[in-house]
Amino acid sequence: MFERRLFFHIDWALLSALLCIVGIGIAMIYSTTYVTTPGGGHVGPQVWTQIYALILGVIALVIFLAIDYRMLAEHSLFVYAGLIGLLVFVLFKGSTQFGAQRWIALGPLNLQPSEFARLTVALILAMFFGENRRGARNTSDLVIGGFFTLVPLLLIAKQPDLGTAVTLLPVFFGVTYLAGLRMRLLGVIVLAGILIAPLAWTFALEDYQKSRIQMFIDPSKDPRGAGYQTIQARITVGSGGLTGKGFMQGTQNQYKFLPVAHNDFIFSVLAEEQGFVGVLAGLGLYLFVILRSLEAARLAKDRLGAYLVGGIIAGFSFQVIYNVAMSVGLAPVKGITLPLMSYGGSSLIATMATFGLILNVRMRRFTN
Amino acid sequence: MTQPTGVDDRRSLHVRLSVVQYTLAVVFCALTVSFWIFQVVQHAQFKEIAESQYLQRVPLPAPRGLLMDRHGTILVENKDSFNIVLLRERAKDIDRTLETLAAATGVEVGPLREIVERRRREPAYRPIVLIPDATEPQVIAMRARRLEMPGVEELPVPTRRYGADFGAHLFGYVGEVTETQLQRADYKELNAGAIVGQAGLEHAYNALLMGTEGAKDVIVNSRGREIKVLDQEQAVVGTPLQLTIDADLQQSAEDGFKHYGMVHAGRPYNGAAVVLDPRSGEVLSLVSLPAYDPNKFAVGIDRATWASLTTDKERPLQNRALQATYSPGSTFKIVVATAAMEEGVATPDFRVHCNGGATFYGRRFACWNKSGHGSVDMRHAIEQSCNVYFYTLGQMLGVDRIHKWASALGLGEINGIDLPNEVSGLVPSEAWKQRVRKERWYPGETISVAIGQGQVNVTPLSLAVMMMTVANGGTRYTPHLLKGVDRGKGLEPFTPPPPRSQVRMKDSTVRALREGLWLAVNGAGTAGRARLEGRDVSGKTGTAQVISLTGALRARGKIDVRDHGWFVFMAPRDNPVLAGVIFAEHAEHGYFGASIAKHIIDTYFAKLEGRPLPKLEKPPATNVIAAATPTPQRSGGTQ
Repeated sequence: MFERRLFFHIDWALLSALLCIVGIGIAMIYSTTYVTTPGGGHVGPQVWTQIYALILGVIALVIFLAIDYRMLAEHSLFVYAGLIGLLVFVLFKGSTQFGAQRWIALGPLNLQPSEFARLTVALILAMFFGENRRGARNTSDLVIGGFFTLVPLLLIAKQPDLGTAVTLLPVFFGVTYLAGLRMRLLGVIVLAGILIAPLAWTFALEDYQKSRIQMFIDPSKDPRGAGYQTIQARITVGSGGLTGKGFMQGTQNQYKFLPVAHNDFIFSVLAEEQGFVGVLAGLGLYLFVILRSLEAARLAKDRLGAYLVGGIIAGFSFQVIYNVAMSVGLAPVKGITLPLMSYGGSSLIATMATFGLILNVRMRRFTN
Repeated sequence: MTQPTGVDDRRSLHVRLSVVQYTLAVVFCALTVSFWIFQVVQHAQFKEIAESQYLQRVPLPAPRGLLMDRHGTILVENKDSFNIVLLRERAKDIDRTLETLAAATGVEVGPLREIVERRRREPAYRPIVLIPDATEPQVIAMRARRLEMPGVEELPVPTRRYGADFGAHLFGYVGEVTETQLQRADYKELNAGAIVGQAGLEHAYNALLMGTEGAKDVIVNSRGREIKVLDQEQAVVGTPLQLTIDADLQQSAEDGFKHYGMVHAGRPYNGAAVVLDPRSGEVLSLVSLPAYDPNKFAVGIDRATWASLTTDKERPLQNRALQATYSPGSTFKIVVATAAMEEGVATPDFRVHCNGGATFYGRRFACWNKSGHGSVDMRHAIEQSCNVYFYTLGQMLGVDRIHKWASALGLGEINGIDLPNEVSGLVPSEAWKQRVRKERWYPGETISVAIGQGQVNVTPLSLAVMMMTVANGGTRYTPHLLKGVDRGKGLEPFTPPPPRSQVRMKDSTVRALREGLWLAVNGAGTAGRARLEGRDVSGKTGTAQVISLTGALRARGKIDVRDHGWFVFMAPRDNPVLAGVIFAEHAEHGYFGASIAKHIIDTYFAKLEGRPLPKLEKPPATNVIAAATPTPQRSGGTQ
């Protein structure tokens, strides 16, 4: 199945950039989780978990690289059904952490099925729109595609994990846009979204979600409560300056003024300790990964491959942009982590797997 | 199987991919610009905020200077006491924490909640004092259950410690600097919350006693825990002060009031005592009763205690020795005698015949002894406190010359003791009446003044100064409490303030006064209770009417109308080394004060000669009621 020559078509530049980002992430996790004791200190356990997840992630990447994506796509309905099954399972049987049921306990690693939802949804949508002649011009096809997206979205939102659930929307729009979604229809959808928003505000959002949004609009209203994180994020980034405070020297990070630093606010830590220079490097790497992946979509030999890459990159870009904006206090605090860099095993493994697919598409551009 | 992409499709796909690529590139540029604005343009501002979060300046309170007596005995010191505080940043469930703490330490949970509620708006890293000056069992109980209530900690605070029932009005107390004090120039350097002297010596010598507060710069984390000390500036301990007070003499005076009050009235006497060294003006003992417990102020007094102190009818916060005035009664006769002899109006041998009363300006003035003293000279008039003799001297002198000599002896004047809020009292003069009452002086009024009644009002301190000045022949030293200062190089003597005024009294005057006062104690006078073998105690009793006779009838039962008793003294008669006053409220007779004075004088000489100090036997419980029954004696005079 894996022909030797394919090896030479692997996009090493993209792969290096990915590993570079993960490396920066591990360094920042090391800095934020280092445990200081009176006699000295030791490495936080999160660093080892992340390294462990990276190894599993590389294995996942290799697996998703090795299997021809077209074969995967043919079985996408089974993969999709499996995902739905897992999501239903965690809803009833999953372990609860931080007030949400997201995890399946798997020995040392807790698996979070929702992290694999983007990949699965991208796969089935790419398959669905790539394999019919009409693309996404037909409204009834859009409804079916929307249905594929909404089922896992609602299941994840129910956990509740609105942050992860919302990331499925860009996947849907990414695939349908590339598949020729009419601009007029896009306009209608956006308009409908605007009209639904007040209703959602009243009926669908939990109080803590409302207060997060309110506090984002005016963080000074409650500087010790919900607005605290936004304020501290801005202070963290702003105090970093041009060249930063130095590795493990970030006062906001080391003295715990910035909450969940190794997770949601890892990019703020980078900004504090490595300064604007570090930010340029980080953003540069992410932009490179995104544009390079979209090149793979351009080079793809079939629509399926192009849509698959488009869907994955749409979800990925949305996460990156939202998290980076949040890390500088420009977006409401939401549980959207920075893919590849934030602490989180399932997220890292799932993201590596999706990039396995992207490399897969590019690698197989000449095969039939 | 898969549909190869058509040319049209491919073109459209490429266009759309380009749109996505350019859009994302623009978004990333926007993000980069945002970071540029925060990190480079506004960097200084954010850097300052970040530093203000983790850099904190913690004040290190300076222990106040010690107070010791003239022989080096420590009277007031500092000890760490423990405040139990709450750090809200570290507490989980504040309500439950307070309940646990209340149960462990046996305090009410309601007031704790109130304290927290009152300080809710302060930054969360600032500790809230829940139990000031916690007892040892409370601290131990708190430590035992610390795990159940994170955020509750003990905080050591240097605290003033005063002896129990000892010199409260002398030392005063400390407390947080008030808003109005902070406005004043001499408190400018202080921060809100600084502990300063608020009464007594603590207030008078606050600048010396306070020392200099230190500070340390620390790094704290978001929970307020100290992580690292960057810089530390040690506090400088306040200057230790040596007082002129003799601890044993002070104690003997305090004991005297308690003991003789129990013996004669069934309860400790209230009142005041001042004992001076007539050779220098040094204050050896100064008492005012009732007193308060200055320890209660040391870590912040609670509202209930403060309210009970300020509304107490017996006014425990007032220093009676220098902040209250009373009618001097017969002790004023010493002033009139001095004035008469010094002005040349009468010699010590001047005689007056007393047959129980005399008529002046058409009105009869009675002597306290209705059967009369017969013919008396100056010495015996003092000994027996003959009113008629002093009426006569008063008429001969006129009020202005009495005023002149009263002032020279310190009455109606500020004597400048180094304690706050001394009042002057009043000795009337013709000019005073014209100025204040807009009326001319009637010569008849002088007759009452001559025996210490009428408008005359004095502080106990000023009577002590009067005795001192008489004892040393005319030098009105400034009474003072500070003897030495230790500025780090051992005790250096403190230069006493210059005398307030000085006259040279005639030897004959001094001799006559000494003989008269000696006779009052050792002869047929009223002050026999002060007699002390070989000590030649000399003195004079007096009574200060609380209220006129008719008023007394009206007010019967509502207020204590029994007269106050005075005893002024010096010892020994020739070259006195002690001079002072005992003022016993509602003691009715000055001679009860004489007993207290005797105990003080006895203690003084015992200490001087190295003998064991005299002890007052506990009064028998019986006889108290009988002794307390007043014997009315208000026949219009003082004794």
